[in-house]
Amino acid sequence: MSKIGLIISREYLTRVKKKTFILMSFLGPLLIFGFVLLTSYLSQENKEKYEILVVDESHLFDSILRNSDKYHLQWAPNGKDYNEIQEIFKKDDQLDLLVYLPVNLIKTNSMTAKCLYKEIPSTGVQKHLSSIINEAIELYRVNFNNIDISTYKSIKTKINLDVVDIENKENRNIQRKAFVGIALAFFIYGFIFLYSVQVMRGVIEEKTNRIVEVIISSVSSFELMMAKIIGVGLVGITQFIIWAIVTMIMSITIIPLLIKDKLNPSLQMNDELVKNSFKIDPNNEAIQFIINEVQWSYLIVFFILFFLGGYLLYSGLMAAIGAAVDEEADTQQFLLPLTIPMVFAILMASKVIDDPSSSLAFWLSEIPFTSPIIMIVRIAMGIGDSSVEVWEIILSLFLLTITFIGTTWLSGKIYRKGILSYGKKASYSDLFKWLKN
Amino acid sequence: MSSKNIIEIQGLHKSYSDHKALDNINLSIGESKIFGLLGPNGAGKTTLIRIINQILEPDQGVVKFAGELLSRKHIHSIGYLPEERGLYKKMKVGEQVLYLAQLKGLSKKDAKQKLSYWFEKLGAENWWNKKVEDLSKGMAQKIQFITTVLHEPKVLILDEPLSGLDPVNSLLIKNEILELKKNNTSIILSTHDMNSVEEICEEVAIINHSKKILQGSINEIKKNYEENLWTIIYDGNQMNFTNAVWGGWELINHISLNGNINKAEIKLLNDFTINKFIKGIVDHVEILEINKKIPSINDVFIKATTDE
Repeated sequence: MSKIGLIISREYLTRVKKKTFILMSFLGPLLIFGFVLLTSYLSQENKEKYEILVVDESHLFDSILRNSDKYHLQWAPNGKDYNEIQEIFKKDDQLDLLVYLPVNLIKTNSMTAKCLYKEIPSTGVQKHLSSIINEAIELYRVNFNNIDISTYKSIKTKINLDVVDIENKENRNIQRKAFVGIALAFFIYGFIFLYSVQVMRGVIEEKTNRIVEVIISSVSSFELMMAKIIGVGLVGITQFIIWAIVTMIMSITIIPLLIKDKLNPSLQMNDELVKNSFKIDPNNEAIQFIINEVQWSYLIVFFILFFLGGYLLYSGLMAAIGAAVDEEADTQQFLLPLTIPMVFAILMASKVIDDPSSSLAFWLSEIPFTSPIIMIVRIAMGIGDSSVEVWEIILSLFLLTITFIGTTWLSGKIYRKGILSYGKKASYSDLFKWLKN
Repeated sequence: MSSKNIIEIQGLHKSYSDHKALDNINLSIGESKIFGLLGPNGAGKTTLIRIINQILEPDQGVVKFAGELLSRKHIHSIGYLPEERGLYKKMKVGEQVLYLAQLKGLSKKDAKQKLSYWFEKLGAENWWNKKVEDLSKGMAQKIQFITTVLHEPKVLILDEPLSGLDPVNSLLIKNEILELKKNNTSIILSTHDMNSVEEICEEVAIINHSKKILQGSINEIKKNYEENLWTIIYDGNQMNFTNAVWGGWELINHISLNGNINKAEIKLLNDFTINKFIKGIVDHVEILEINKKIPSINDVFIKATTDE
């Protein structure tokens, strides 16, 4: 094995053999899954049935307010005023909500219905209540104006707006696709930071352990730096591939179980959380969207390309920072200028989604320090006029490549001087001096 | 150049942004010799060593290795133990020495074979699976020494190899250095430990303020720094001793040892010989002992670097 190969393999093996790496390889996808499950669980209504006491001052709602088993309505006794009914509601543990429909609610648009609660109802419950009240008012007014109910139903519509690019019909609903891009952008951001910081730590370790001089008497300092960057980058790609495989296996094994549960209610699952929270409908629109409309094949290719470009750009600079300091605590002053563009890119991602062909989107996806994050968002929204053109992607990759070659060359100069300068905290002026020399 | 020189340095210059580290250094290091590279802190020794190791590039001048211009191919022929040295703390000793040996061009198989010899020789057989962070400083130093010599380099550059070692381990390493020399390894020893220099070096060079101020064999250098100093122990009166000979000498120091027995340190001036001096005093005091004072390398070092 060549010496560079030897160093790459040491850098790679010492990291992938670490317990934390093995743990993170399996914990990462689990955490992501857990997070999805948790949010879906938290947004789920956790009550099976709501007992709702209705105070209908106009007495016009009782036949038209839609009743159901889940949202069970019962009418407040006649002859009691609103305050008395509130007392009844408070005392009766069976009752969950009190809906107050004032006398002129049905006839004017000026009044507001009230919902009193003991435990705050979810937004889903709130939506349900306002929809059945609206529905009742509409029904009342339809009757009142002698309109035929079937005519009314045929008039009343609820449409979905499919937003389609005229030049490329494949480009539909690009804003929705952007959320996949945002997720990938977060991964790129996380991976670039995670692994370029590992390069920096590795350099600091070699410097503080004082082994670096022995190593660079066998290979050149630039070879050592590049071997370290490549070794750690391979660790990142390995981690990504493991995550992808584990996620895929989990999707294949867990999701069908959940779907089966939904289709066959007699099937008992032990895990209450999973059972209650994550019932997936295979026809669910979001799932169909993610499986059918997102262009995974080229998204993954570009994800890896932009991750690598961004990683190479930042890890070279991080290696230079590692070489310039004696301990990690001293890195803060140098890290800040590197973090700002990345955080800025993440913050700007939502603006890019709003208008993916704006000049802001263009520049942020071409400037190499932000392009890995912004370009993946734009690519996720579809390639073509409405989001990003092929030439823009090529230009962005080209700029990223020449910039990382440039920064790596500059970093190499700082690195070479820095690793042999012990015991003094380098300042920006030292870095410039090392660059010039 | 002489075929007996393993390293030949001609007109070497190296500057950093704020100072000159090496100024026109010319140096030749003999084959199979132990060569002491001496000089105060910051004189430029480490820069010179790093240039020989091709860690740094000179601004000007050439370095020749066994008659050829120094190039990357010579890396395997040099073993380097830097002053700032260490090991990967979290790595196991065995893995680490194998890694460093392979970086010096040995195959894994050869490295294992040679390592078992050295581990046994330095009593490190049971350390293979230990983590470096669990080793004592002395143990780690031995491991570093092994990784430096394992690939049997023609030239060994040792920067303060004995610092931090207890007297037993220090002696052990010193003996290993002497044995390596016997087996035709040329050794450059950079140290402030002048006793070791005197004990094991055959040649030395002193660098001060980025310039070479002195080079030669230990005996030659000492001879050059002799100042015609003599110590004389005699039985008799000090006045008689000092008044016996007029001119041609200086009394440097005088102490009374026991009763009438005194010890004088004198310096002979110009052509005045010790025989003339003895002739002068022999009738006035009884001479018990006469010795010529030979300067130690420590004396030479201090004189050479402070006289500048």
